[in-house]
Amino acid sequence: MSDGLGNILLDLFPLMWSGMITGCLYALGALGLVMIFKSSQVVNFSHGNVAGFAAFLIYGFSSGVLLNLSWGVAVLLAMIAVVAIAFLIYAVISPLVFESELTATISTLGFGLIAQGATLLIFGADIVNLDLPIPRFSMSFLGLFITGYDLTVLAVAVVTIGTLFFVVDYTKLGIAFRAISENPFAAEVCGLNLRSIHLFSWIVAAILGVVGALLIVPTTFLSVTTVAAFMLQAFAAAVIGGFASLPGSLVGGILIGILMNLFTFYVSAEFTSTFLLVLILLALNVFPNGILARAGGSRV
Amino acid sequence: MDGTANALTGRGLALSFGGIEVLKGLDVEFRAGEITGLIGPNGAGKTSLFNCLTGAYRPQKGAITYLGHALDGLSPAARAGKGIVRSFQHVALSPDLSVLENVMIGVARNYHAGWLHAFLPTRRGTDEMAAMRAAAEGALSELGLAGLEHKLPSELPPGMLRLVEIARAIVGQPAVLLLDEPAAGLNNSETRDLMRTLRKLATSDLVMVVVEHDMDLVMSICDRIYVLNFGAIVACGSPQEVRANQEVVRIYLGDDDD
Amino acid sequence: MSKSSASIETMPGSASGNHARGWLAASGADYLLAAVLFALPFLIGGSWTFALGICFANSIGVLAVSVLVRYGGEVSIGHSFFAAVGAYAVAILDTRYGLSLVASLPLALVLGTVCGVAFAWPSRKLSGIYLAVSTMALALAVPELINNADWLTGGYEGLYVSQSVIPGVEASLQRYYAGLLALIAVVYGLRRLRHSRQGLTLLLAKQHPAAADAFGTRQVWARIAVMGISGGIGGVCGAILAFAGSTVSPSSFTFWTSIFLLVGSVVSFYGLSLTRALVGGAFLTLVPQFLSASGAWIPVLYGLALLGMILIGHYLPRIRSFLFASKGGA
Ligand SMILES: Nc1ncnc2c1ncn2[C@@H]1O[C@H](COP(=O)(O)OP(=O)(O)OP(=O)(O)O)[C@@H](O)[C@H]1O
Ligand SMILES: [Mg+2]
Repeated sequence: MSDGLGNILLDLFPLMWSGMITGCLYALGALGLVMIFKSSQVVNFSHGNVAGFAAFLIYGFSSGVLLNLSWGVAVLLAMIAVVAIAFLIYAVISPLVFESELTATISTLGFGLIAQGATLLIFGADIVNLDLPIPRFSMSFLGLFITGYDLTVLAVAVVTIGTLFFVVDYTKLGIAFRAISENPFAAEVCGLNLRSIHLFSWIVAAILGVVGALLIVPTTFLSVTTVAAFMLQAFAAAVIGGFASLPGSLVGGILIGILMNLFTFYVSAEFTSTFLLVLILLALNVFPNGILARAGGSRV
Repeated sequence: MDGTANALTGRGLALSFGGIEVLKGLDVEFRAGEITGLIGPNGAGKTSLFNCLTGAYRPQKGAITYLGHALDGLSPAARAGKGIVRSFQHVALSPDLSVLENVMIGVARNYHAGWLHAFLPTRRGTDEMAAMRAAAEGALSELGLAGLEHKLPSELPPGMLRLVEIARAIVGQPAVLLLDEPAAGLNNSETRDLMRTLRKLATSDLVMVVVEHDMDLVMSICDRIYVLNFGAIVACGSPQEVRANQEVVRIYLGDDDD
Repeated sequence: MSKSSASIETMPGSASGNHARGWLAASGADYLLAAVLFALPFLIGGSWTFALGICFANSIGVLAVSVLVRYGGEVSIGHSFFAAVGAYAVAILDTRYGLSLVASLPLALVLGTVCGVAFAWPSRKLSGIYLAVSTMALALAVPELINNADWLTGGYEGLYVSQSVIPGVEASLQRYYAGLLALIAVVYGLRRLRHSRQGLTLLLAKQHPAAADAFGTRQVWARIAVMGISGGIGGVCGAILAFAGSTVSPSSFTFWTSIFLLVGSVVSFYGLSLTRALVGGAFLTLVPQFLSASGAWIPVLYGLALLGMILIGHYLPRIRSFLFASKGGA
C-alpha cells in the first residue's frame, strides 16, 4: 500500500520537475504572445514559425550551411534577423491593427506561412541537429535527476523573465506599455506613442520566441515543424493564463508543462493535442480571464 | 396599491456598476393606454432603466412585473416574446440588411418555421416571409418611409435610420413599447409626423414609454411624465404638474449650462 | 473578456454602400459560370476534371469558413475538423457498408452540423481571437484522433472511396458532377438563408447582439446556429473531397488544411456566391498543381496571397475614392 504510494511519488516528482522545466519554455513562448496581445490586441500566429526560422538561421550560421561562425555570433545574427522580421511584420500590419484586430490576426497567419515556406526553401524539409553549448553534467538531488540542461533552462528562463518583468514594472517603456494595455485611447491622449510601444512588444516577443525555440531544440531535434508545434503549447499556456496577463502566462506555461507530462505518463501519449484542446476549452470557460484573474463582473 | 394590473411596473430597482449607483431603488409604473414620458438630464439613468426592463441589465435589487407576472428571471429574448420591445438610443440596424429586412426582424418573433424552410423553397417558408414583408411594409409606410424599403442603412441619413428603428419596434404589435430618444436627429416636420404616429399607436392595451430630450414632444404627447435625476425619480405627474415642479425646473436650468 | 472588435470584413466596397449587396449578388456571372461548368467535361480532358472535382470540394470548404465570417463575424482556423468528419463518414460507409455518396453525403452533412453545434456549445461565450484559438486547438486534435482510431479510419494509410453513385457512368464524370452539384446546392441553400427569417436575425445578431436579443434572438442560439451551418457545410466539403479524391488520409486534415481554407476564404473576400467560392477554391487547388515541383513555394505563395488580399481589402476603398476623386466624378 505505502509502497504503491511511494512509487507514485517516485514517478511524480521527476515528472513535475521536468514538466516545470519545459513549462518554463512554454512560458517564454506565451509571454511573447501575451506581450503582443496586451499592447495591440493581436494574436501573433506567426510566432512559432518565425522563431523556428530563427533557430534554423542559427543552425545555418554556425554549421557552415550558410556561414561558419561561432555559436555566439550566430545567435546574435539570428536575433538581429528576427528583430528585423518583427519590425517588418509590424510595419505591414500596423494599419490593420487600428482597424480590426481580427483582420490583423489573420494576416499574422500569412507571415507564419511565409516564414515556414522560407525555412523550407532555404533549409529543406530534413531534420537537422543543432547543438547548444550547454554544460554537460547531471546530479541526483532528493531523488530528482537534474541535468545541466535543466539548470540552463531554469537559469535562462529566470533571467529572461526576471528582466522582462523588471522592464515592464520599473522602466519608462514598461510603464508606457502597461498604460497602453490598460487603455490605449487614454494612453495615446496622454502623449504616448502607440506604434512605438507596439513595436517594443513585437521585438521583445520575437526575442523571447528565439530564446524559447533555442532551448527546446536539445530535447528533440530541429525540423520545420518542431518549433511551431512547441509554440502551440505556448498558446495553451497563454490561454490558461488569460492571454492578457504576463504572470498568468508564466503560471500557465508551467502548469501546461506539468499537466502535459502527467497526462503523457499516466493517461496516454497519443492524445496530447486532444488533451490540449480540452484544457483550452475548459480554461476559456471556467477562467475566461485567466487563472490569476480576480473575480469581478464585466461590463455589458 | 399597484394601480391598474394592466401595467409594467418596477419596484425598488437598484442598479450599480462597480460602486457607481446608476439606479437608486426607484419605483415606476407604466400603464397601458397611456404614453408615459421619461425625462432627465444626460446620465440620469433613463437608458439603464430601459435596459433593466428589457432584461439587458440585471438590477441588483427590485422586481419588475408585467400584467402582474414577474419578469425578473426572464432573458431579453423571452421578454421580447411577451411583446416587450424597444428602440435603441444608438441606432442598432444591421448594415448588411435592407431597410425592409431590418424592419422584418421586428416581427420575426411571431413566426416559427424551422430550419428546413430557411434553406429550401417550401410553401410555409415563402408564405411566412411574405407575411413578414407585408407587415414591415405597413410599418414603414406608417412612419412615412414608403419607397425606402430597398435602401441600405448606409444610404440613409441618421434621422431616417431612427424612424426605421422605430418601425422595427412597432411592427410586431408590441404590448410594451419602449422608445429611447425617438426624435433625436429628426427635423421639425419629421418630429411632428412622429408625434402623430405615436399618438395613433397608443391604443388602450399598449404600454408606451418615451425617453426624450425634446420637451415639446414630451409635453404634448405624454399623459404622464417621470423625471429622473441621478438614478432617482424626482417628480411624476401630468405634463402640467411636471412643468410646474420647482425641482424639475431647477434640474433643467442647471442642465442647460452644459 | 472579449472586447468588441471592429468588423473583420474589410473588403472592397465596404465604404461604398454597395458592399451589403456585393457579397451575395446572384449575378449573371454565377449562372453563366454554372452553365460553363456543366458543359466543361465535354470540352476538356480528363486530368482537369479531376482537379476541378477537388476544386469544387475546396470551394465548399471555403464557403464553410466564409459563412462563419459573414453570419457570425467569427474566424475559424479549425475547419479541417468538420471536413475530416464528413470525409470519414463517406469513406467508412463506403468501405464498411458499401454505401455510396447518396447515403453518406446526408450523413456527412448531419454529422458536420452536429459537430459544429457540439463545438459551439462549450465555446458559446467566446468570440474573436479567443474563438479562433479554440478552433486552432480543434484542428490540432484532428490528425491524432484519426490516427488513434485506426480500427475505424485506417490510421495513417487512410481509406479508399470506390462506390459509385450511378453505376455504369464513368468514375471521373461522377466525381466531377457530384462536386459541382453539391457546390451549387450549398450556394443555393446559402442564398435562401440570406432571405430567410433565420438569416436576417443572424445578421442582426452579428452586428448588434443586444438588439437581436431585444427582438427575441438569443446570442447563444445565434452562435450555435452559425456554427452548425458552418460545420454542416464543412462536412459536405469533406464528403466531396473524399469522393472526388477517392481517398482519405489524416494528412489531408491537418492544421494547415484549416489555415488554407481560411486563406481561400480571404482570397474570395468571404464571398458566398458561386463565383467567389470558386475563386477561393480554385486558388487552393490550382496553386499546388502549378507548384507541385517545388512544394516549399506553396506556403510562401499562400501567405503572400493572404496578406495581399487583406491589404487590398484595406486599401481599396481609399484607392478607389482617390481614383474617383481624381477623375472628378461625383
Ligand atoms: N454598462 C455600464 N457600465 C458602467 N456604467 C454604465 C453602464 N451603463 C450605464 N452606465 C452609467 O450609468 C449612468 C446612466 O447612464 P444612462 O445611459 O442610463 O443615462 P441616460 O439617462 O440614458 O443618459 P442620456 O440622456 O445621455 O442617454 C451613466 O453614468 C453611465 O455611465
Ligand atoms: Mg440614454
